Amino acid sequence: MTSGRALGLFLIGLAALAIWSAQSLVVSFAADPLGPRAFPSTVALIMGACGAMLLIPRGAAFERPERMAAPPLLVAVMAAYALLLVPLGFLVATALLATGVALLFGARPLPALATGLITSAALWGLFDRVLDLPLPKGFLGV
Amino acid sequence: MIETFSALGGGFAVALQPNNLFLALLGCIIGTAIGVLPGIGPLNAIALLLPFCLALRLPPESALILLTAVYYGSGYGGRITAILLNMPGEPSAVLTTLDGHPLAKQGRGGAALAISGIGSFVGATISVVLMTFLSVPLARVAVAFSPADYVALIAFALSLLGAVGGGSAPKAWAAGCLGILLAMIGIDSGTGVERFTGGSMELLGGLDFAVLAIGLFAIGEILLLIETRIRAEAAKISGGQRLTFREVVFCIPAMLRATGIGFVIGVLPGAGASVASALSYTAEKRLNEKNGKFGQGDLRGVAAPETADNAAQIGNLVPMLSLGIPGSGTTAVLLGALLMYNITPGPLLFQQRPEVAWGLIASMYIGNCMLLLLNLPLVGVFARLLTVPAWVLYPGVLALSFAGVYAASNSAFDLLLAIGFGIMGWKFRKLDVPLVPIILGFVLGRMLEDNLRRAMSLSDGDVLALLGSPVSIVLWVMTVVAVAWPLLRRRAA
Repeated sequence: MTSGRALGLFLIGLAALAIWSAQSLVVSFAADPLGPRAFPSTVALIMGACGAMLLIPRGAAFERPERMAAPPLLVAVMAAYALLLVPLGFLVATALLATGVALLFGARPLPALATGLITSAALWGLFDRVLDLPLPKGFLGV
Repeated sequence: MIETFSALGGGFAVALQPNNLFLALLGCIIGTAIGVLPGIGPLNAIALLLPFCLALRLPPESALILLTAVYYGSGYGGRITAILLNMPGEPSAVLTTLDGHPLAKQGRGGAALAISGIGSFVGATISVVLMTFLSVPLARVAVAFSPADYVALIAFALSLLGAVGGGSAPKAWAAGCLGILLAMIGIDSGTGVERFTGGSMELLGGLDFAVLAIGLFAIGEILLLIETRIRAEAAKISGGQRLTFREVVFCIPAMLRATGIGFVIGVLPGAGASVASALSYTAEKRLNEKNGKFGQGDLRGVAAPETADNAAQIGNLVPMLSLGIPGSGTTAVLLGALLMYNITPGPLLFQQRPEVAWGLIASMYIGNCMLLLLNLPLVGVFARLLTVPAWVLYPGVLALSFAGVYAASNSAFDLLLAIGFGIMGWKFRKLDVPLVPIILGFVLGRMLEDNLRRAMSLSDGDVLALLGSPVSIVLWVMTVVAVAWPLLRRRAA
């Protein structure tokens, strides 16, 4: 399967979902002749048509990137951050995130840890102390 | 004329306030820095800064002064890596490498940097003057636009995405449609029904623009970068002979031509700074076939594309401010910023919020002078940024992205949403799906639907009313041509 064809199928599927979702809308009164359904359905139809045009095979097969494992690992680190930010607090969670990302970008453990700690402390100082933005405090109370 | 000067004077009163001066300077420094850094463009940087502007409750004119300074400042930074490393920091600086890097190898890197800095200043400043006098007349034309005319104008702006994107037209259009559909998420203002929320409470208010932009561009870019190993190279500016006054004078005609080309290309929707710099380089090369050494280190080959690049960036702002129609991805983000402040750019902006429109224009005069002063002596300092290793830079960028998303919404749900859009941006980039149409579709989508429904209400559902005025007929014909052109070209190929 070429990458273009996979994309075409994805777009057609998404368009079908959008049209189905729009058709299920129940409108009790119509303030305007068009209503909330027509416009998104038309746009989804155009998107589906563009997807159909991509089904004609033109592109090459998927290329294998240099580092297969890094992006999924990065997604895992980021998702963990999103879930742990509030329980752990900004300072700890951000230090973990930055250390993890530095490791994934090829840093050695000690420099990565230093990067994580400095990044976290610097951003916390800037946002919490200088700019007074609301950041999650977490169990340390900072 | 007199009105324009008094309005501009009012703008200077806003722009010269100490906090706004500071924000303009900060924006110029950030803009130049991100222009230097590979992988972070003005679009990412503005998307990153936007939630902080809101969280800090900056007034809209101050936020716009900061964000726009980042935008035009990036035009000064992209040339530094192009000249010193043969590596364009921004897509529009590709042409600068052709003559800039040979000059650097001949030991005249300093001169190439200086002339490109002067060119950027000339292009940007003349364009700001043109913008000062053109914005209000253009806005006055647009005040008379009916909802049906606006539908045609937005359709035309969106149809151009496929014609000028360079890549596959169906992919660009599909991306635009996806952006429009993403804008539909939330409660429909006309009827109060929920659309595309999947029953989620968090999505009732619609997608946050900053979440979409940070996810697609900042997080997506880092996912793309981490796949390939980054090879860091040290940069140095060779001494060599300094730029002479005679050489600057020699480049002036090229700069003036490039300003004209850049500004016109910039004002037209769709085409961006990359097209402008490519066109002006080619024009100079053709004009000076006999006495030029283009490709081997001609100063005009550095001055022309850099001038056109900055002129086009400013030109891009004109339709955004006076019509409310952004012509490029970055101006779409600026428009999104204004919308987050509940300010609708467009014909009425200059009357209703003169402090925003004129304050911004006035600050651009000041910002460009700051950039010239910053860039001539400090170019070495900015070039040193390239020695920062990726594993220091990108963890910081990512942490900043998340802090921004969280500061704007205080919700962990938005963090997950941003990661989701990051994955989408990364996959789309690998599949050659352009991301800018998604942003343009998102910003223009609701405007398009509102105007369409308003037009249909006025005509009691008669679709032919969309073709009711000469303006709309001309725009629809141009739309059909813009849609048909890539399809015909594709058949011929």
